[in-house]
Amino acid sequence: MENNILRIEHLTMQFGGVVAVNDLSMEINRGEIVALIGPNGAGKTTAFNCVTGVYEPTNGQILFCGRQIARSSPSGKMRKIYAGNDASAFVGDSVRLSPDHVTKLGIARTFQNIRLFSGMTVFDNVLTAKHLRRKSNFLTSTLHLNYAEEKRMREETRELLKAVHLLDVADEMATSLPYGKQRLLEIARALATKPTLLLLDEPAAGMNPQETEELSAFIRHIKDEFQLTIFIIEHHMNLVMDISDRIYVIDFGRLIASGVPDEIQNNPAVIEAYLGGGDE
Amino acid sequence: MKEFASDKKSRVPAFLSFVVIALFYLAVFIAEQHLPATSMLFTVLKKGATYALVAVSMNLLNGFTGIFSLGQAGFMLIGAYTYAIFTIPLEQRESVYQYFQGGAVHFTVPVPVALIFAGLAAAFFAFLIGLPVLRLKSDYLAIATLGFAEIIRAIFQWNQLGPITNGSNMLRMFPNFNDFNIRNASGEVTVYLSTTIPFIIAGVCIALIVLLIHSGYGRAFKAIRDDEIAAEAMGINLAHHKQLAFSISSFFAGVGGAMLAMYQTTVQAKSFTSAMTYEILLIVVIGGVGSVTGSVFSSFLFVACSEWWLRFLDEKQMIGTFEVPLLRNGFRLVIFSLIIMIVVLFFRRGIMGTKELPDLFRRKTKEGIK
Repeated sequence: MENNILRIEHLTMQFGGVVAVNDLSMEINRGEIVALIGPNGAGKTTAFNCVTGVYEPTNGQILFCGRQIARSSPSGKMRKIYAGNDASAFVGDSVRLSPDHVTKLGIARTFQNIRLFSGMTVFDNVLTAKHLRRKSNFLTSTLHLNYAEEKRMREETRELLKAVHLLDVADEMATSLPYGKQRLLEIARALATKPTLLLLDEPAAGMNPQETEELSAFIRHIKDEFQLTIFIIEHHMNLVMDISDRIYVIDFGRLIASGVPDEIQNNPAVIEAYLGGGDE
Repeated sequence: MKEFASDKKSRVPAFLSFVVIALFYLAVFIAEQHLPATSMLFTVLKKGATYALVAVSMNLLNGFTGIFSLGQAGFMLIGAYTYAIFTIPLEQRESVYQYFQGGAVHFTVPVPVALIFAGLAAAFFAFLIGLPVLRLKSDYLAIATLGFAEIIRAIFQWNQLGPITNGSNMLRMFPNFNDFNIRNASGEVTVYLSTTIPFIIAGVCIALIVLLIHSGYGRAFKAIRDDEIAAEAMGINLAHHKQLAFSISSFFAGVGGAMLAMYQTTVQAKSFTSAMTYEILLIVVIGGVGSVTGSVFSSFLFVACSEWWLRFLDEKQMIGTFEVPLLRNGFRLVIFSLIIMIVVLFFRRGIMGTKELPDLFRRKTKEGIK
């Protein structure tokens, strides 16, 4: 089995004159928890959005389990104003998958600002995420001929809610939950799409230290139970140092360090990026 | 082990709702046999059933998928014309298409088939329009679909299409609601069905829409309404699902258009104005955006008020020897607008909000237990 799950090669994302992600290369192997950290505005979420198909990268390519999910080179107007490297390295067939297609291949994500389906119950939020693995079409579904499939999806949803300890609030409206539980629900919803790679965008944002501690145990737990590879963006250093196998650090879109947590903690470039450099 | 509603929903409220609906149908059928056929009640019920179907189809888009479309009158027009064109009896075509030598269509199909044709034609046009238009968001989409409806209205009146659409002349002589009555050999009506059958057509269509809403696709539609970005990240193909919702909604608007043709007994493109779309939008908003029950309920209310209950305001009324002031032609509309304003002020989310018929029983049974 391919050991390499995600490989990002020379990813550059430029908006107008702003280079949000600059020549980022990284890889994630099966079963790892990899963190991407960096100061605010460093381009972490932009990198996530390139992986999940929300943005089309300006340059570079992304491979998921050896399959191209994005590949492009500067074209049109961007060719003139392109400020990154390797402008000609990825000329040729460009690849662009829509976010739903990427999810179907097995990459699920959560969002930095919670994006639950507000008009639905907790149960339906998770159940809806099972829609993409359907075998029924709209006619069989309308006439409820997919009874077996529907029953299986409901059972799996219940299992999943049990696993994240949300079964007792299954019938509440999703937005009526406390903040921490909404975060858990978002993870449960992402898990419902049956991913191999789970992308967590600041899952601990707004959580207190105790909740954060519980979250790191929870992330480890779901990684083992669902055989996941996890790619996480996070600001809570305790959480990151605690659970990550490897860490990538970016600043102003550029990769400035990578390695195991101990290396990162003592890396002068990282400390400078976080505490402010002396050259200003 | 505690049972949750999502595990096993109580079937009692659903059953009660079913009973209420069945009794209502029975009442309509019985009333039709015994009351004079010219009673205003039946006019309201027929038009109400038609509008209920169109309103629910619009709610499927606006309330459940979050697509703000104002093309309903256009799709109704396509449905109405398709139905009429395929059902005008051959021997009448010469007189209907008098300026176009009997028209270009020389066959008819049975009424149920024509109804399905009406839906399919509307859905087909919706599919084509949807390709470019559904990329737009909210207000822009509304304007684009409104524009489409206006263009369709103009095209159907175009003289060059006369052999099919009869140009700007009306189509008539096709089977209407009164032809559903069962007559004996001498032409006397034995069983009145002219109100019951439209109820059944609308009922079956609305039931299909409800089933769709409660299926996996319905959940996907609601997900798109709640958060497009999250829906897409959960693997829901936006283009495909929006296109599907738009086409299905238009299918039923087309069937509704065909029913309107039957109700009116004539079809003319110029009557399918944007004002008709606004009427239906009003029904949806008053009933509750996101409530099928609300749309149905407010359709009947709307039609009853505009056609029947407020009619007296348009005529001089005497109380004893005192002539009530202000009552004259057009005053009805003033009162009507006032009522709508009051309803919107006091029921901000419509009469039903997002509740459905079974929810009403659910709340009552809960209170009963307490």
